[in-house]
Amino acid sequence: MNIDLSNVRFSYGPIRALDGVTLQIGEGACGLLGPNGAGKSTLLKILLGFLRPDAGEGQVLGHDIRKDTFGIRRVVGYMPEDDCFIPGLDAVSFTSHFGELSGMPRAEAMKRAHDVLYYVGLGESRYRLLETYSAGMKQRLKLAQALVHDPKILFLDEPTSNLDPQGRTEILELISDITSKKDLHVLISSHILTDIEQTCSALVILNKGKVAAQGELAALREVKFSLYEMKVKGEDGPFLEALGRSGCRTEKTEDGVIKAYLPAAMDRRDVFRLADSAGVQIRHFIKSRTSLEDLFARTVGVD
Amino acid sequence: MAIAERGYTHWTGTLGTGRRPWRVIAGQAVRLAWKRKFFKPIFFFSLLPALVFSAGIYVSERIQDFQEMLKGADKFLKINPEYFQAYYGSNFLFFMMLIIMVGSGAGLIADDLRHNALPLYFSRPLRKRDYIGGKFAALAFFLLLLTLAPGILFLFLKLIFSGSFAFLADYPWLPFSFIGWSVFLSSFFSLYTLLLSSLGRNRRFASILILGAYFVSDVVFAILFGIFRDPAFTLFSLQMNMRQASAVFLGVKPPQHVSGFYSILILAAIMAVALLVLRKKIRGTEVIR
Repeated sequence: MNIDLSNVRFSYGPIRALDGVTLQIGEGACGLLGPNGAGKSTLLKILLGFLRPDAGEGQVLGHDIRKDTFGIRRVVGYMPEDDCFIPGLDAVSFTSHFGELSGMPRAEAMKRAHDVLYYVGLGESRYRLLETYSAGMKQRLKLAQALVHDPKILFLDEPTSNLDPQGRTEILELISDITSKKDLHVLISSHILTDIEQTCSALVILNKGKVAAQGELAALREVKFSLYEMKVKGEDGPFLEALGRSGCRTEKTEDGVIKAYLPAAMDRRDVFRLADSAGVQIRHFIKSRTSLEDLFARTVGVD
Repeated sequence: MAIAERGYTHWTGTLGTGRRPWRVIAGQAVRLAWKRKFFKPIFFFSLLPALVFSAGIYVSERIQDFQEMLKGADKFLKINPEYFQAYYGSNFLFFMMLIIMVGSGAGLIADDLRHNALPLYFSRPLRKRDYIGGKFAALAFFLLLLTLAPGILFLFLKLIFSGSFAFLADYPWLPFSFIGWSVFLSSFFSLYTLLLSSLGRNRRFASILILGAYFVSDVVFAILFGIFRDPAFTLFSLQMNMRQASAVFLGVKPPQHVSGFYSILILAAIMAVALLVLRKKIRGTEVIR
């Protein structure tokens, strides 16, 4: 396991930010999803050793989160959410500076800075002062400094925030390229579901400081929910009520499609029985692939 | 803008573990200050008194040649601890050190706070003391060039021009005084600047604080001393405290009738407070509990 946490708790005064978080994150790209205030950034800060958990244990690539924060920081690249830079520097100096701070020799850091700046698409503007960079360029710069020392694992905190659609697509392409490497793992914290869906194969959903769901994205979609889409002929009100009484969550789209989330104990034949008893005919019935949005809404309990 | 024309490549080197990150931070801060507009002219202008005092040492050794020019002013050219105290305790030196601190140090922490650079620093294997030490070292570097370097030059010139070691035999403690006072004064100004730079997220605000605290303390002293005529009010003024302390370090009579050790204690207390505040303010992430 790359990251292994057990019963981690952390509070900001009276507010409990993380409440008994236990999770295991394996290789590849993992999304850390949750609404605002769910504890995503706090979790990343604990993993980096910025914050010391009130209770619980954990390891990042075998390094203890309490005792070996330096070990963690050597193998982790961190891209914070906010704009971060040092005024007066150009991108090469900035990136190589953080390479040196990670322990790279100066000449190597400088050479590597050029490489990663080309990689993130800042090669042409690498000698420009950072104050003159656009939001998208600053985002790439943060990614460059996170990559400069060739980390084993990347923590990306809201990597596409404040970006226009084009910039967002480009950053996601970069992340996808990075995650295609077998030996560079990525943990992406975001509340943008499509970003996670596009780049990650595993997922941890946090809600109110607790792990609401975790695992491989495909498995979560399959195991947790059975989503069916159907169209019915007849008065659908009693049918929807009957589904609700049976423990289904239902939604009706503008074009009349009913989405029904069936609990694990319920079979699709039960849907037909309920339709029969409610006096409606099912004219269209397919098992839908649960979208991340559905999964998130269901797990977190919001629409 | 082309992205990833070639895919991500790994770095083949090995990260060093025995490095000293404070040196990296200090080096970067020195380079940044040196690049700032007007910094170089101000810095070289600050060295002017050192040149004048060096010339004074030369003239004092050739007093016969300059008798006509000096017209009785040669009594000021006796090279003894008082002569050096005139350099090390001069208002001009303090003022120029202050200006250099504004130029090189006001934004040193304030800019990092404003542009959220601290999480980037502390996501590296870096301790608070590395960060503070690096910033401190950058400021101390400039200040030691104004204090310790001239001190060494003065001694060197004195020995060269006099052609004997008699001066060192007369005042054997003087080299240590130069080192002690230079380190103390540079440490004070560096920590004073870092403290005020860490109090806000704005370089200009920090600049105003650095200048303001210095001059306000002086004004307070002037008012209180003007009213009560009590030399104890010297302790309210940063500038006067530094003059008093410099006298103690150089073994001469302090300008005011108050023990210079009190001034040393006050300046040391300010440094201690600065370190405590810096340790509290500098952290990888903002935590509001």
